[in-house]
Amino acid sequence: MTHKIELPDIPEYAPEPPPHGPKVWLQKNLFSTPASSVLSVVFIIIAIGGLRGMLGFIFDAARRWEAVTFNVRLLMVRAYPEEQLTRVWLAVAVAAVLIAATFALYQVTGRTSPRKVGNAVSTVGGFLITAGLLGPWGVSFSPFGIESGTTFAIVFGTGVVLFAGGQGFRRGMGKREKDERLPVMGVVLVMLGLVLVGLWTISLPWPTRLADGTQVSITQPIAMSTRIPWTIIFALSIVTYLLVAMFRKQLGGIGKKLLMSAWALSFPVLFLVVLRDPGLDMGRVFTWYVPVAIGFILIGGFILNFVAESRGELGRVIGAVLLIAAFAGFLFSLEFIVRWSLVALALFALAAPTFGGKGAGRRAFLGAWAATVVVITFFIMLLAAPSTIEVPGGGSPFGGLLLTILLSTVAIVLSLPLGIVLALGRSSRLPIFRLMCTAYIELIRGVPLITWLIVGFIMLPVALPEGIEIGGVARAIGAMSMFSAAYLAENVRGGLQSIPKGQYEAAQAMGLTIMQTTVFIVLPQALRAVIPALVGQVIALFKDTSLVTIVGLFDFLHIARAVIPGQAQPFNFIGVFREPLLFAALVYWMFTFTFSRISLRLERRLGVGER
Amino acid sequence: MTVQVREQQKTPLWRNAAFLKWAVQLFVLAVVVGFFLVLGRRATENFNARGTTFDWGWLTDPSDFLIREGIDTDPDSGIRALTVGAINTLRVSITGIIAATLLGTIVGVARLSTNWIVNKIAAIYIESIRNVPLLVQIFFWQAMMFTLPSLVEADIGEYWFKASNKGFGLAWVGWNGGFFPWLTFLLVGFIVSRFVKRWRIRVQEETGQLANAGWYTLGILVVFGAVGWFAWPILSFLESVMTAIADAIDGIPAIIIPIVLAGASLLIAAWWIRSFFESRRTPAGFGKLTDDDWFRVIFAGVTGIVLAVVAFVFSGLEVTTVQGELTTMAELMRTGIANIFDWLGRDFANNGGDPLVFSKASVVQDGNFVQYGTTGAVMTVPFFAIWFAVTIYTASFIAEIVRGGILAVPKGQTEASKAMGFKRSQFLRLIILPQAFRIILPPLGNQYLNLFKNTSLGTAVGFAEIVGVGFTLMNKNGQTLPIVLVWMGFFLTGSLLISAVVNYYNRKMKLVER
Repeated sequence: MTHKIELPDIPEYAPEPPPHGPKVWLQKNLFSTPASSVLSVVFIIIAIGGLRGMLGFIFDAARRWEAVTFNVRLLMVRAYPEEQLTRVWLAVAVAAVLIAATFALYQVTGRTSPRKVGNAVSTVGGFLITAGLLGPWGVSFSPFGIESGTTFAIVFGTGVVLFAGGQGFRRGMGKREKDERLPVMGVVLVMLGLVLVGLWTISLPWPTRLADGTQVSITQPIAMSTRIPWTIIFALSIVTYLLVAMFRKQLGGIGKKLLMSAWALSFPVLFLVVLRDPGLDMGRVFTWYVPVAIGFILIGGFILNFVAESRGELGRVIGAVLLIAAFAGFLFSLEFIVRWSLVALALFALAAPTFGGKGAGRRAFLGAWAATVVVITFFIMLLAAPSTIEVPGGGSPFGGLLLTILLSTVAIVLSLPLGIVLALGRSSRLPIFRLMCTAYIELIRGVPLITWLIVGFIMLPVALPEGIEIGGVARAIGAMSMFSAAYLAENVRGGLQSIPKGQYEAAQAMGLTIMQTTVFIVLPQALRAVIPALVGQVIALFKDTSLVTIVGLFDFLHIARAVIPGQAQPFNFIGVFREPLLFAALVYWMFTFTFSRISLRLERRLGVGER
Repeated sequence: MTVQVREQQKTPLWRNAAFLKWAVQLFVLAVVVGFFLVLGRRATENFNARGTTFDWGWLTDPSDFLIREGIDTDPDSGIRALTVGAINTLRVSITGIIAATLLGTIVGVARLSTNWIVNKIAAIYIESIRNVPLLVQIFFWQAMMFTLPSLVEADIGEYWFKASNKGFGLAWVGWNGGFFPWLTFLLVGFIVSRFVKRWRIRVQEETGQLANAGWYTLGILVVFGAVGWFAWPILSFLESVMTAIADAIDGIPAIIIPIVLAGASLLIAAWWIRSFFESRRTPAGFGKLTDDDWFRVIFAGVTGIVLAVVAFVFSGLEVTTVQGELTTMAELMRTGIANIFDWLGRDFANNGGDPLVFSKASVVQDGNFVQYGTTGAVMTVPFFAIWFAVTIYTASFIAEIVRGGILAVPKGQTEASKAMGFKRSQFLRLIILPQAFRIILPPLGNQYLNLFKNTSLGTAVGFAEIVGVGFTLMNKNGQTLPIVLVWMGFFLTGSLLISAVVNYYNRKMKLVER
């Protein structure tokens, strides 16, 4: 039985929209209280003054920005021979393709609303309008033959177009905040595409010195020599992105594994083979390296199989004997590859009873052993061969931004395992290990990096045994990774401390050994928890690479701060310090800012750091 | 049904976990020590082949090079040169820490402002400064300074502030003969004011009436400062006291010093072991000590004994002083301690003059050059480049820390204090900041450490701090290892001091739970 209730007829009222518009915004954000109004006025004046000063500095007739624009290649790759530059482009292309594949496979970027995109475009437009209005009109840049009046008129016009376009886009596509239908990647690609179009279309008059010494001005597109490679790389990245995104479902886990291996392989192959072009003695490769490696794989595999099978003291004893033999190997003059393969064999033998497994597990373990031997052989073989890339003045072929990137990537890759070992050692219950690791970490962290660089550059070469010589780049990499490892260790230790005790107890109850608990239970969770901190350490390391300029390596900063201001040919840039330095600051900023945004994203995605 | 009974066996050595644990550790220790021994032997051989042997003679040998700025621009020995460098490092660090804290706090609070433009300017400052390597910034400020006009004859005169490519000349307050006695008065005033403040606060709590604790404190300081300004010569009797102490120290045999040092290290070790045993005590008596515990005890004991032996060995080392006299380390240390009292005595001597003198910066003709004179203070180009860059760089990190700390205070605290009728200035000062400070302090200490270590980048722009001076010494005499050891000693001591101070406050501020 139901009762019917008669509701009175109530007229429906739409909720009144909250007041909005520029006036309300100003009142709320700038003039809410008298004190706030005063602050606003003061800071608006300061902001306008600062912006004017900055624009006045940048667009000053006395500025010599051509010191940067003429030396872009020097800044990027230093003296890398021009006819070999394809190698650099190949490296950039591989990196771009890998990044595109990663973005597509892991769906790093999400979707965004047209409203946000429109607002962002309008903000840029608004900034350009302000800059166009405030900039110093009527300055003439002598080398380029440009009047700043025209420049600012163009800037102002672009600003108006962008602002109107952004607002129009926003209105046209609907105003709802939650309406997320634009893929972020698409927006980014459109932006990059616009930059690319700019490379092809925007022309500037460039001063050029003819063979007879006269200076003429030639109007040509900016980035004349780089636009074709950039276009190819851009197209490749888009194709990769679309392909991977299309077959993401089918690729699945295998795709991720493949991608990770590609990343891991790309660095050694790009830096050691593509960019360094080692002059390998093929005869020696086939008569020495390959047979030794195969021998190690086979004999070592046999021993490891035996040790994994025996599961008891015998395996441990064999491992210990091997370890002692490996260390004894350092007392005799053995070939490097034999020495290090022996050390690896001993470590594998010690790990075999724990990780040897059965069936598929055993095969994976032996596969890992083979891969390790191949990697060791690969590195020792390539590092022993001299580079065939000839740079004027000799020395390492790496320089400029390329060297900076090399230093930071290699140092971070080397320091991560060392840092993990140190962190485990410091939180270990074995007192001598703990003491040694703590001493290392505190000693390294207590003293500035520049001291360690000086130690690496002056003392290390003296302390090395005869026959081993390491170049400046290797010394810098060594010092930086030892330094960075101490900081990483502290980050990882924070992660280790965040693992609840129950995890250890559960692992113990399951009958896992300490080693297994650490590798399979603790480390995966601990590392996941500290990923944002690790990215922070990557940023710090990237910034710290600039310190190698003090010990005289030709990194990006050294070119900007010492090489360009000492240049007398073909144009005289002696004493031009500020322009290259500002450019260097901008490039460093772009890298670190991108990293820090990625770190923020990761932090949000992983949900760590939330109370 | 049969039950298999295994005979209880003694665990063989190679299966004994305790034994294996120690064997592996000792093996790794041996490998590491061996590694360093090999490196060290190799290094010694190579250095011997070059004709340089490690020794500490450079500490007292004449250094004959000029230092651009500092307490002594023409140091007479290596140790003196390093001291000048160390003091320059401390100058930048301490002023930088103060300035960065102030700037960082302001920017951090501004970052939370509801005022749009203030907020955005703070954000732009933080994001642009902290993402650019410090070294780039140092070079940039140096380059900017070099573009300032140079000093010419028309500039000769006195100035409140003068900028040129030789640095900034500033009007400055310097100290004079009476400064240290006056400072003593101020110090006594400060101590008295603490007691008075406590007393006034007690009065306020008991009576409920405002007792003006702040005004009382300020008044006492002003009174002591004012009295001391005129009365400082009465402290000159301290000169003879200090001299007498110095003479007395000079009179004791040098052997006392290693005995005191060794005794101290043994006492500390014994005290540590005792407190360790105490900490393991359970209500039922001593708990069972594990292997690790015994290791700690043994290690502490061995360290104490080793330090005691080192004290004796080190004190017995023979060194040559700048004057060419052969003496032992112990005698040198004794003379050093006596010299400190001598120096204190000289500072209390009545040598006339007001405690503080104010002077403007001057530009004078010096031979063929026009330069800054000796009055006022001069901020040189390298000093400014490193100080300014380090300050704004660290401030950008401190701002983020301050922001995070304030945001971490629960919102309910603000609402509750508003409901209690606190004014905005009151609840910020009394409710929010004390709680935020607790969260801010540990990362803030880290930033101070970073700033302290980052000052070593001054060497890139020719600032004479300890790394730069050490590098010059290294190039002159080839003594790399000893100088690196001095650097390590200096930076580790500084780091330890900073973390000790931060930890002290951290403990003091820590939330006492339950």
